[in-house]
Amino acid sequence: MSDEHKEERRSDAPVSAGGLHGILAEYETPSALVAACKKVRDAGYQKWDTYTPFPIHGIERAMGIRMTSLPWIVLVAALTGLATAIALQWWTNALDYKFISSGKPMWSIPANVPVYFELTVLFSAFAALGGMLLLNNLPHPSHPLDHKQQFAKVTDDRFFLYIERADERWDAAETHEMLAATHPVTLEDVYEDESTPAQVPGKIVLTLAVVAVVALVPFGVFAKMRTSRNTEPRIHAMGDMDWQNKFQAQQPNKLFPDNMAMRAPEPGTVAADEHVDDDHLTTGKVDGQFVRTFPSSFKIDEAAMARGKQRFEVFCAPCHGMSGNGDGMVAQRASALAEGTWVPPTNLGLEYLGKMPVGQLYDAIANGVRNMPPYASQMSVEDRWAVVLYLRALQKSKAAPASELTDAERAALK
Amino acid sequence: MAKAKEHAKDDGFGDNIKMDALAPKLTQLGGIVGALALVASLAVGFTGGNKSQFMHSYLTAYAWVLSIGLGALWWVTLQHLVNAKWSTVIRRVGELLASTMPLLGLLSLPIVIPTLMGDTTLYLWADSHKMHGDHLLHKKAAYLNTGFFVVRLVIYFGFWSALSLFMFKKSVEQDKTGAPEIRSKLQAVSAPSMLLLALTLTFAAIDFVMTLEPKWYSTIFGVYYFAGAVVSFNSFLALTLMWLQKNGRLARSVTAEHFHDIGKMMFAFTAFWAYIAFSQFMLIWYANIPEETEWYHIRAHGPWGTVSFVMVAVNFVIPFFGLMSRQVKRNKKALAFWAIWILVVHWLDMFWLVKPHMHTESLPFSILDVTCTVAMLGLFIAAAAFNSQKVNLVPVKDPRLDKSLAFENF
Repeated sequence: MSDEHKEERRSDAPVSAGGLHGILAEYETPSALVAACKKVRDAGYQKWDTYTPFPIHGIERAMGIRMTSLPWIVLVAALTGLATAIALQWWTNALDYKFISSGKPMWSIPANVPVYFELTVLFSAFAALGGMLLLNNLPHPSHPLDHKQQFAKVTDDRFFLYIERADERWDAAETHEMLAATHPVTLEDVYEDESTPAQVPGKIVLTLAVVAVVALVPFGVFAKMRTSRNTEPRIHAMGDMDWQNKFQAQQPNKLFPDNMAMRAPEPGTVAADEHVDDDHLTTGKVDGQFVRTFPSSFKIDEAAMARGKQRFEVFCAPCHGMSGNGDGMVAQRASALAEGTWVPPTNLGLEYLGKMPVGQLYDAIANGVRNMPPYASQMSVEDRWAVVLYLRALQKSKAAPASELTDAERAALK
Repeated sequence: MAKAKEHAKDDGFGDNIKMDALAPKLTQLGGIVGALALVASLAVGFTGGNKSQFMHSYLTAYAWVLSIGLGALWWVTLQHLVNAKWSTVIRRVGELLASTMPLLGLLSLPIVIPTLMGDTTLYLWADSHKMHGDHLLHKKAAYLNTGFFVVRLVIYFGFWSALSLFMFKKSVEQDKTGAPEIRSKLQAVSAPSMLLLALTLTFAAIDFVMTLEPKWYSTIFGVYYFAGAVVSFNSFLALTLMWLQKNGRLARSVTAEHFHDIGKMMFAFTAFWAYIAFSQFMLIWYANIPEETEWYHIRAHGPWGTVSFVMVAVNFVIPFFGLMSRQVKRNKKALAFWAIWILVVHWLDMFWLVKPHMHTESLPFSILDVTCTVAMLGLFIAAAAFNSQKVNLVPVKDPRLDKSLAFENF
C-alpha cells in the first residue's frame, strides 16, 4: 500500500490512530460465507474479497465477479507472437540474410511454421502469467490482514469476508450492521499495517540494481564487438580448441632421433589398400599398350555381368543413358538448358568403341576422358572391369543380327 | 441435485435415465435404414463396373465410423485410467458407443473378403506375385500379406470387442451390486489396455488406410488417425447427449458444465490433429525424398490440391477459432453446430486419405459415398441403441457420480 493512498484516506475521513483499513467477518461454513457474499454483492460494494481454505463452487457468482479479460489479453499476445514470428522469419531469411537451405525457397512457409507455433505459444504463456499477476494486483508483499491473528485460520477451517474502508459505499456503522446481520462468528475492525516498512528494503533495491547493471554487460560487449576493427578472434572461449596440443606437418619434434614430427612408414609394413603387382588388372595396360583381354584374375560370369549392369546404372546411366545411347537424364537436362559449355556424352554404341581395347575402356572409367571425370575413387578395380564387361554386352546388343536371337526373343520384339 | 418427484421413472435418481421405448425404436430405425443402405450399396457396388467406386467409398465411410467407435473406446478407457470424476454421468453413453466394436468387426468384411480373395482394388499387397515382383515391396511381403492381415484383424477386433464389452458389463454390474471395487478393477485393467489400444489402433490405421499405397509410409500415421478419432468421438458424444436431452433423458444430470468439457476436448484435439497433420507433412516436405513425397504430391496438385488447401481451413483454422470461446462451448446450439461441422470435415479427412488412391486427377465423389456412410452410421447407432435397452444411461452406483453431478468449471 503506497503512501498516497494512506494520505488520501486519512484526509477524507480522519479516524483513530493507526487508521482503519477495513472490516473482517469470519464464518464457519462455506454456505454461510456464500450467503453473506450475496448480501455484500447486492449492497453494491466493490472493494471487498473473500478468503477460503479451498476453492468454493459458485462463489464467483455470489460475489458478482465478472468474467476475466485474461483470455483476450492472451489472444492479443498470441497474435502478436504469430506476427512477430512471421516478421522475424521473413526479415532474417528472405530479406536481411538470404541463404538457401536444403534447396527450399528463401521464404518458405512450412519450414517456418514451428517458429510461428513456438513464438505464439511463448507470447501466450508470458501474457497469461503476466496478465494473471497484473489483474490480481500481484505481487502484493504486505497486507493488513497478514497481521491479524485469527486470519491465520484461513489456511485451515475458517472462511473470511473482508470489506475495505476504501470502498465508495463504506459507512462504518452501516457496513458493520450489514455484516453483523449475516451472523459471522467474529466481526472485527482491521487497522493499517504499521509494522511493515512502506519502502522496499534497501538490500533488495541494491541487489536489483546490481543485477540490472550486470545484465547490461553482455550488451556492452556486443556493442563493442560490432564496432571493433580488430582482426584477432574476439574471445577465446575454448582455449583447447584454439591452441591444440599437437604437431603439425613440417614441425620439429624432439621425441624422435631425426627431430621430425612427420613419420615414414616402418620398413616392412603393408598399407590396407595394398598395391597389387598386376598392371593388366590395375591399369589395363601391359608394356604401355592397352590390353585386348580381360585380366586373368577377373572371373567372367553371370554375377560379374549383373554387378556390371548395376554399377553401370548407378554411375554411367545418368549421363550415358540406361542403354548407353548418350541420352541420360543429366544429358537431357543439360541440353534443355542449352548452356553452351556442355559436351554431350558419347554414344557408347558407336562402332569405334566396340573395337576399342577393353584396357582403354577400363582406363577411361578409372582416369576419366575429356569431360568425363575419373571414377577410380568411387569404383573398385573389380567393379570397373565388371562395367567394361557389361558395356561389351551392351555394344554387342546394338549390332546383334536377328539370327543370334532365340525364337522367344524374336517373338517379343514383334 | 434437485429431486423431481413428478418423474415417475426416476428410480429415486431425479432424472429420466432409461431409454425405454426409445431404444427399440432407434434400433429398428437405424437397423432398417442402415441395412437397406448397405444392401443397396453392395448391390450397386458389385454390378456394372462400380466395384472400385464401391470399395473406396465403403472404406472411406468405414474408416470414419470406426474412428468414432475407437474414439469412444479410448475415451472410456481414459476415464477409468485417470479416475476421472467430471465424466462419470456421461460415461455410460461412451460405453454404449464403444460397445459397437463387434459390429464394426463384422462391417469390415466387405473390405476383408475381396482382399482375401486376392482382389487388388484396394490393396496391391493382396496379390503376392505383385509384391514379389517389386524390388521395394518384396521386403514388405512378410507383413503385407493376406494371411497375416487376417491374423492382425482378429487380434484388433478381438481385443477391442473384449475390452469394450468388459468395461460395459462391469459398469452395468456395478449399477446392480454397487460394488465399489469394480472401480479399481476397471482402473487396473485400463492401464495395460491403453498401451494395447495405442498399438492396435496404430496398426489398424496402417493396415486399413496407409497400405493403400504399399510403398508409402509415415510413422506418425496412427497418431494422425487417432487425433481424428478423438475429435470425432467427442463431437458425436456431444450430439448424442443433446439428442437424449431433447427426448427427455438426462435432462437434469448432464449440464452445461459437461458440454463445456466435451467442447474443450473437441477444441484441444482439433489443435492436436493440426499439430500431427503438420508434423507429418513438414518432415516429408523438408526431406523431399521421392518415395515419401509421392503421397503428398498427389494431394498437392489438381483438384486434390484444392481439397488439401480447404482441409487446412475447415479442419483446423475455422473450428479452432470457432471453438475457442467459453460461451460457444457452453451453448448447446453453438456446440451442436461445431460438432456437426467436425464430423463432416473428419469424413472429408477420410475421403482425402482414401480416395486419391482411386483417382489422382479427379474427386471421385458418388452416391455410393452417401449410401455407404448412411449404412455404416445407421448400423452403428442401431448397435449402440440395442445395447442400451436394459441399462441405465448413468452409472448410478459409481462412487464418483456425486462429484460428476456437482461438477463445475471455474
